[in-house]
Amino acid sequence: MTRTIPTLVLASTLALSFVLAGCNESSSPAPAAVVVPPIAGPAPTPAPTPPATAANFDVTPCLNQMVVPGRTVADLVVPDVLRLDLNQAAGFPNGRRYLDPVIDVTLAVIFLDLRRHPATTFAAIPVNPNGIDQPLPTTFPFLARPLGNPPTSGGSGTRFQFRSDPASAYTRVDRAGMPAVSTALISGNPNKNAYNDDNPGIDATGRWVPELAGTLTILTNALADDFTRLGLTICARPI
Amino acid sequence: MKAIPFARIALPCALAFLTVAFVGDRALEAADHFDPPARTGSDTNTAGFDVAADIADIYAFHDASNVFLAISFGGPSATTLPGFYDPDVLYTINVSNAGTRTDIEFPIEIRFGRDGTSPGIEVRNLPGVGVIQGPVERNLITSNGIMVRAGLFDDPFFFDPQGLRESRATGNLSFNNMRNRFANLNSTFVIVAIPRGLIDQGQPLDVWSSSARIRG
Repeated sequence: MTRTIPTLVLASTLALSFVLAGCNESSSPAPAAVVVPPIAGPAPTPAPTPPATAANFDVTPCLNQMVVPGRTVADLVVPDVLRLDLNQAAGFPNGRRYLDPVIDVTLAVIFLDLRRHPATTFAAIPVNPNGIDQPLPTTFPFLARPLGNPPTSGGSGTRFQFRSDPASAYTRVDRAGMPAVSTALISGNPNKNAYNDDNPGIDATGRWVPELAGTLTILTNALADDFTRLGLTICARPI
Repeated sequence: MKAIPFARIALPCALAFLTVAFVGDRALEAADHFDPPARTGSDTNTAGFDVAADIADIYAFHDASNVFLAISFGGPSATTLPGFYDPDVLYTINVSNAGTRTDIEFPIEIRFGRDGTSPGIEVRNLPGVGVIQGPVERNLITSNGIMVRAGLFDDPFFFDPQGLRESRATGNLSFNNMRNRFANLNSTFVIVAIPRGLIDQGQPLDVWSSSARIRG
């Protein structure tokens, strides 16, 4: 059975002025040494985004919009790393804590005009489930014990044998940095495997920028009218 | 009560996200669970795929004393299953704390081994210390105060990929923010607590992780 979200809850949550952790910090992060290649397309304009009636959109304004002081969407996803500024409050997108609503925040910053809607717009609803099975402890490792009765080792053993092969003897399977970048913005194979075989150094050359922008464009072209009907202003510009 | 335009956002908004799955044929499965699916399997089929090497999530946060880095993998798994401590998989948490964002000062390597049937963990390239080894499911502490733990935990991640998938198949709204694919399931974690003085060089940390399987 499908359930929908009570509208009263939605109204209440949307009325809240949640502030993304770390977003209200006034100081800028330290300058990044890596320069993200410029995204092809016209520069963003401060003018309000026109109603989304066109079928095709330029997502350049989305990639160039500021999420937190000094960091654009493009900065967040290229290179694909999780950045943690120790002088700012912890919380996505400044690093990531266990319970940060990373999917909803990511979707908001790539689709919505952040001058009009906070990055927490979807997380405040929430669009995705937002709950945990049991409270997290306040001490290391800050994770709740496993559910059920899985077999455990009992923490035993003293004379372990480990492989001594160098890292070069292994073949890459997976990589992960910013949540949802690979899963949402990289299309199927061969791109999926190739992306996971790369590293942030290659990301910084701009190799994956066309793929990221292309996927976001496809999604935006299809979703723009839906967002408009919801009264939401998208960051993309009709072309 | 006056109608608030946003008050009816839930249904259309959910529909909008279903469309994300429709149009691009790229279901947003999770943060990094089940990706890349050709290697790690999908949300609905992991049989024969490299589940142990499937990085689920990476976390990085801090408090006044420590920086905490964590990866999860091999999940979400049923609550009857033990942790994934595969000796043939190398996990790496790459940390850049100086120079450019993409150079790696600390490629923290994580391997699992055995003492008989008991699984153990080995971590290399931690700041200020060479190698630490010990049993899983127990806190291990280095001489300079770094703490490491590997173990099975309740996966705290939350998301509803089923709603996206069903809606894509039927065209009917099935998205449900009360249906969490990751609820009541476990994942294997490695968590490292590093005293800030060992890693804070005055610039932000850039962190990413990888998994790799031994060849042959």
